[in-house]
Amino acid sequence: MHRPPHRPSLPVVARTATATLLLTTGLAQAATLEVTAWKGNEAEPAALPELIERFEAAHPDITIDFSYISRSDTDIVLPPRLQGGDAPDVMMADMPLVDIWSQAGLLAPLDKGDWYQRLDPAVRTAVSDGDEVYIMPLEVIGMGNFVNMGLLREAGIDQAPRTVEQLKAACTALSQAGVKPMIFAGGFSAPLFTIANGLEPDPGAAPELGTEQRTFEDDEAFDAALSLIPELAEAGCFDPEVQAGVDPWSTGLAEFKAGNFAMMPQGAWNIRDFSSVDGLDFVFAPIPSANDTGVALDLFGVGWVISSQSENADAARAFVDFFTEPDNLQALLEAESAYSPFTDGASGMAALAAPYDEARAAGASIQFPFGVLHWPKPLESEIFDSLTGYLLDLDQSPAEVLSRWDEIIEDQY
Amino acid sequence: MGKYRIFLFTVPALLVLGTFFLYPIALSLRLSFTDFTGVGIPNDVGWKNYERIFTRSRYLDALGVTLLFTLIVVTVQTAIGLFFAALLHRLPAVRNLCRAALFLPAMMSFVIVGYVWQFIYSPFEGGLNSLFAALGLASWQHNWIGDPDTALFALAFAHVWMFVGYSTAIFLAGYAAIPQELDEAARLEGTSGWQRFRHIEVPLLASSFTINIVLSTIGTLKTFELPFIMTRGGPDGATRTLSLHIIDSLFGDYRFGFASALSMVMLILVVVVALVQNRVLRAREERAR
Repeated sequence: MHRPPHRPSLPVVARTATATLLLTTGLAQAATLEVTAWKGNEAEPAALPELIERFEAAHPDITIDFSYISRSDTDIVLPPRLQGGDAPDVMMADMPLVDIWSQAGLLAPLDKGDWYQRLDPAVRTAVSDGDEVYIMPLEVIGMGNFVNMGLLREAGIDQAPRTVEQLKAACTALSQAGVKPMIFAGGFSAPLFTIANGLEPDPGAAPELGTEQRTFEDDEAFDAALSLIPELAEAGCFDPEVQAGVDPWSTGLAEFKAGNFAMMPQGAWNIRDFSSVDGLDFVFAPIPSANDTGVALDLFGVGWVISSQSENADAARAFVDFFTEPDNLQALLEAESAYSPFTDGASGMAALAAPYDEARAAGASIQFPFGVLHWPKPLESEIFDSLTGYLLDLDQSPAEVLSRWDEIIEDQY
Repeated sequence: MGKYRIFLFTVPALLVLGTFFLYPIALSLRLSFTDFTGVGIPNDVGWKNYERIFTRSRYLDALGVTLLFTLIVVTVQTAIGLFFAALLHRLPAVRNLCRAALFLPAMMSFVIVGYVWQFIYSPFEGGLNSLFAALGLASWQHNWIGDPDTALFALAFAHVWMFVGYSTAIFLAGYAAIPQELDEAARLEGTSGWQRFRHIEVPLLASSFTINIVLSTIGTLKTFELPFIMTRGGPDGATRTLSLHIIDSLFGDYRFGFASALSMVMLILVVVVALVQNRVLRAREERAR
């Protein structure tokens, strides 16, 4: 028996159409946002897991697909993805990456909303690229002098040194008390000390020194800063030849944690790790300098950028905006022992960083020139190398060392 | 057409060779004349990258460091590998156990080996200095990887420690190919162990020498792992090899064009050294037959 073809009734058609419409609308609103960062793992959580959870609770239509990619792997993994049109929606980046990726048109300009006006002026200048801004800064991290107060007290000193003269006196007293005074590795600690002291008289000179407009070799402040190193060695702060071979990222940190050295110029990102060592009584102080305050060397570290190829641009913007809210950012700052990049933002620094806080409050902070692109990245390794060479042969003239820095600047043009 | 048909069988191999070997080299050559940063569109800069390489002393110094490191590693590794192989050839009871033990470091990660040796060489109560102190040789204590005069040798020692098992294994394979009758005949003639080693074993191990020297030379010329982990090329460039310069230029400095130019220089260096070595060692093999 022939049966006529089944024809759906009108209510069935209407119900199906409504369901389809609801489903497609729902799909259009729901977004999975791919986010990458070199923080957020177990070793350096930066409160990202809990912040992502909080963001997803506030935005139920957005799911975060988070991937940890170390900073060094970021250089390897992300450029091919960006170049191939398959970039994550939101990426953690620093200024050297922003510079290259934005020039290639791979980053989306961010809305200069309220957050942009609230940025610290120095940070705002650093992140602005003409009329555009491509990065929403997350934190400013201090680089200063870790001081083991337990060891200083053994030498009869109860305050972290702030001036070079105080530092020399502390070194002499510590040496006499049988304490090794200072880790001054050529690969990081010595450069921090030199850059802080070289820029202190005129922090505004950094951009010119990073171009061919002005040379390091002819700069009196850097000449004087380098001349301080033999004086510190003379005062017994360190054995320069030994320090030339110290790896600041393994041996140096291990030695300070073990309480074998009294001082070490390094970054505040170590505070969390050092605080976990039982009995390590330390403070985070500014780098000793000619001024009474010392120098708080601030590093504008990281921020969020949005790929220009992102198909979830609205969700990506919502994610970035989430971190501009002080309450949310505060969790990250506390986990990182960092300062807010906003003028109205709080600090996540621990109480033991009070000496560094005081230097900042006194206006003695200087932006680390590599973090704000005043100096080209290749100069950084040359500074590390040349200062190691200087520690090995303090008979070199500062001009000889500084001419190597100028050669790298020349190579950039 | 018929006589050329046989060449069709080489097409798959040529395709693989062209895609995975020749094309990347051609691409690197092309990039070496640009200012490519890893993303975006490269701009032509002519011979500027090469001009920088040959007019800046730091790159020529790195070339010198690379060649010296290779010379030390290849010489010492081959000599020690031969010593262990000769010893184990005469000790069949422990041969397999010792061969495995010697080979073990080569199976470890460079990162682990680098960090272990970094702490052994540490100037602050590092393993080596502590050993000297315990033996009453405190005057021998030294800042091994902090002194430019010893840093390269210290790294070379760690490298040899890691790979001497390879050399030993290759020489042992060579020993296995030496006819036992020759050894027995020599013994009947009353030769000493040194005479047998010098006049029978060494000449007959010629092909093992060739393989060992060529492979370790190529591997060492390209090395960057231990200098990268243990010294980052320091102190002041004393252990900065050409490969480390390439890595630093690529990741950190974002100068892919310049790194490509350095890679081309290194490629030419490796090819020339390998060809010369191969020719000399093959001629030696012929003479030994």
